[in-house]
Amino acid sequence: MKDHAPRTPLRAINWNRLEDEKDLEVWNRLTVNFWLPEKVPLSNDVQSWATLRPEERELTIRVFTGLTLLDTIQNTLGAPAMMPDAITPHEEAVLSNIAFMEAVHARSYSSIFSTLCLTPEVDAAFRWAEENPHLQQKARLVLEEYKAGSDPLKRKIASVFLESFLFYSGFYLPMYWSSRAKLTNTADLIRLIIRDEAVHGYYIGYKYQRGLERLGEAERAALKDFAFSLIFDLYDVEAKYTAELYDGIGLTEDVKAFLHYNANKALQNLGYEALFPPQACEVNPAILAALSPDSENHDFFSGSGSSYVIGKAVATEDEDWDF
Amino acid sequence: MLDDGVKAELDYHALNAMLNLYDGEGRIRFDADRKAARQYFLQHVNQNTVFFHSLDEKLGYLVDEGYYEAEVLDQYPRAFLHRIWDAAYARKFRFPTFLGAFKYYTSYTLKTRDGRRYLERYEDRVVMVALALARGDEDLAMRFMEEILSGRFQPATPTFLNAGKKSRGELISCFLLRLEDNMESIGRGINSALQLSKRGGGVALMLTNLREAGAPIKGIENQSSGVIPVMKLLEDSFSYANQLGARQGAGAVYLNAHHPDILRFLDTKRENADEKIRIKTLSLGVVIPDVTFELAKKNEDMYLFSPHDVEKVYGMAFSEISVTEKYAEMVDDKRIRKKKINARAFFQTLAEIQFESGYPYIMFEDTVNRANPVAGRISMSNLCSEILQVNEASTFDEDLSYRHLGTDISCNLGSLNIAATMDGPDFGATVEAAIRALTAVSEMSAIEAVPSIRRGNDEAHAVGLGQMNLHGFLARERIHYGSPEGIEFTSVYFAAVAYHAIRASNLLAQEKGRSFKDFETSKYADGTFFDKYVTRDWLPTLPDVARVFEGVALPTREDWAALRDAVMRHGLYNRNLQAVPPTGSISYINNSTSSIHPIVAKIEIRKEGKIGRVYYPAAFMSNENLDYYRDAYEIGPEAIIDTYAAATEHVDQGLSLTLFFPAEATTRDINRAQIHAWKKGIKTIYYIRLRQTALEGTEVQGCVSCTL
Repeated sequence: MKDHAPRTPLRAINWNRLEDEKDLEVWNRLTVNFWLPEKVPLSNDVQSWATLRPEERELTIRVFTGLTLLDTIQNTLGAPAMMPDAITPHEEAVLSNIAFMEAVHARSYSSIFSTLCLTPEVDAAFRWAEENPHLQQKARLVLEEYKAGSDPLKRKIASVFLESFLFYSGFYLPMYWSSRAKLTNTADLIRLIIRDEAVHGYYIGYKYQRGLERLGEAERAALKDFAFSLIFDLYDVEAKYTAELYDGIGLTEDVKAFLHYNANKALQNLGYEALFPPQACEVNPAILAALSPDSENHDFFSGSGSSYVIGKAVATEDEDWDF
Repeated sequence: MLDDGVKAELDYHALNAMLNLYDGEGRIRFDADRKAARQYFLQHVNQNTVFFHSLDEKLGYLVDEGYYEAEVLDQYPRAFLHRIWDAAYARKFRFPTFLGAFKYYTSYTLKTRDGRRYLERYEDRVVMVALALARGDEDLAMRFMEEILSGRFQPATPTFLNAGKKSRGELISCFLLRLEDNMESIGRGINSALQLSKRGGGVALMLTNLREAGAPIKGIENQSSGVIPVMKLLEDSFSYANQLGARQGAGAVYLNAHHPDILRFLDTKRENADEKIRIKTLSLGVVIPDVTFELAKKNEDMYLFSPHDVEKVYGMAFSEISVTEKYAEMVDDKRIRKKKINARAFFQTLAEIQFESGYPYIMFEDTVNRANPVAGRISMSNLCSEILQVNEASTFDEDLSYRHLGTDISCNLGSLNIAATMDGPDFGATVEAAIRALTAVSEMSAIEAVPSIRRGNDEAHAVGLGQMNLHGFLARERIHYGSPEGIEFTSVYFAAVAYHAIRASNLLAQEKGRSFKDFETSKYADGTFFDKYVTRDWLPTLPDVARVFEGVALPTREDWAALRDAVMRHGLYNRNLQAVPPTGSISYINNSTSSIHPIVAKIEIRKEGKIGRVYYPAAFMSNENLDYYRDAYEIGPEAIIDTYAAATEHVDQGLSLTLFFPAEATTRDINRAQIHAWKKGIKTIYYIRLRQTALEGTEVQGCVSCTL
């Protein structure tokens, strides 16, 4: 709870009085994008799952466990920690939606597990996640900034890095599988998550830039230093984490290019210039193209796709029934 | 970043994906896709194809090892086999797109039993299909081979995939079953669904006649659980029965809008539906009579009627009754239990569900029945909403044997590539060959596991000739899709196809000396079907349309009158002739745009269980003619509906019509499009598709399919 001075009246949120149009735009986008994992027929991937080699299956489960951890942090700590920093009441409302969807994401990985995997395999992966030093370290680096008392803008920096950068070493794998015609329904679900995370990272970055505008030159420079040093630290851990996961199937170099690409995107969300030069960001086109959920044409009988939304209901009028 | 030219060392998936990313100058990289197709052969296909020294060695091996059906080859002398194979290979067929090649090799070609090596090239598959369908007739085999290999005629997937193979599924695509209001019919229906699914068909079932939730059973109130549990059973049956894992079983269910369970039926597709009632993989269709529109126009309530009571009162199943005709009478009849919902709210709910899931399909019941030239009622459609045929109920004894064997519906499909057909040497001959090939499939099929399907097929020999590549053709000819020229072309083209299809079926009736059952009571037999063709011309009036038809012989009123007389004298062999399917896979192999739709995107992202995510450029598109490739979302529902209306006029069955909306549209926009479609005489609506553009700042940079 916030501390209120005893005389401050409690104020109800009025969506008809916006201080920042972006709040409503993002709110609308997030609500039409609402989804639950049950809509994706994951069980259609059972046969495909069986065609993965044991080490590929283990890798996949581990990757998803790592993603679950990040979503859990963002749901229970990240988004709630940013709420007290909100400048407008609408921003708080958007953050509460973000927090909820992160819970849906974390829940989704468990749906994948329960559909495709055996319990012992999953338990082993969760144990692995608890014991993996790199995964734990990257989580801790972010958590450090979420702590009460830390600078609200630093919290946003950490949050954008989590949403727009740290997830992607994990997202790579399902996109890779789907470009190889494997686990395509799982990839649909992950694409729904990516669709959400892209908006989250963009929105928090946007709010960060608004916050920055109120500061003096020196403070801004300090924050920029902080952001770059944090991304260096995170990249360092992330590179090791990636190598540990992907060396086995020989994809580490490719994943790293993808990390560079996304690190640049995260910095762009904060309004900063790119860190990695274009040559370092040559992502496999199959992965890059796989990221876009737009207007995918699928065979409806084997999947539900990732482009449906909750529509806006408007009643018809007499003039519409003109015949 | 990715704009530094196309690198040779990239694998074919990466090359193909470059189609979806602009180059440095903002151009689409068609060359990358052509390289992908070439690399696919170099890196993958050629290395994994079993090599034979000669045709004889190859055929000997494939027959001995049980891959090819010996009976197919034995119908022909060896010398002819050499001739047809030589002729096929002399054509030097090449796949123009990566997806075409990839789709063919992953899903169609004959492979060794371990699935690792390819035993056929494209030419082999085409020749085997031609040999199988020609059943020993050398001239016909040669004609089929020419039509298929030139890309003019493309048999539907089940035929193209299976013909000539020793262990194979059925050649027919699509089945429609009706369920009646008793446990025997439901049980038998589920069994039939399993059997047909196992054989590779899509199955649709009509649920309109089942009593609603809460209806009495044996006079005891509140006993029936309605249609939802039956849907659950069907959904699970379809996921269980897949063709050796080759393709997921697929099914659809149809329900009349005036069935009391209609809202529950729709709610199964809600985003937040409970697991117990959520339907994920079954497709839904709603049958809407004219009266529903009239009620909505007046903003009145619509009554829903208990099928059980309707059947008791009228002595026939709910689906046999025209709701529009009997509506007032049923409302006033105390013996029929009913409830009511607001008609406009019903349409709005329909659109809400379509937003969330793309479903349900819609069949405009009265439009369909008015246009039906043969006796009987049409009360449902199929998985792709293009099959519209009459059926007849079966009744069962307690042991599930037939007391009365009714008829159910099957339909085998194939499509003409409009561009290739227009370019071809003889328009009429192409249509005739297609009808002969489809008729062969009907005659070669006898599904013993479902006797009502077998009876229906034996009596009707119904086929569905479709069309594809309309948008590709129009764009190549520099005509805009949906323009007056585009619509007139569609009308003239489809009238000409109808003429030649009927002509071919009439020839078949003469050759075989018989017509489909109940021909005598059809509008063909009394000649009234032909009224609209002998009282006006269906010929080009616009110069651009006349230009593209130059060199194509189009039927005149006199031709139509002569055809009418021949049909009245000799009959028709096929009860149904045309149906325009959505053509997914086969249009990729055939280098066409799908069906008669506009393209969904300049570079289509195609995803399927078996092939993953692949990118496909629209047919004939180049960086110079992009203007003519506005996509379906830009073209908008009205122009699509108007184009379909022009085609519908000449198609005896239906056409799969998908409508496309931006995600910012509202349910009202969807409703208005549905009203427009109904007014224009459209018979069915297939999916509603939405496109959401990425929020500014979150899009993938330089992506072709993401930009408007």
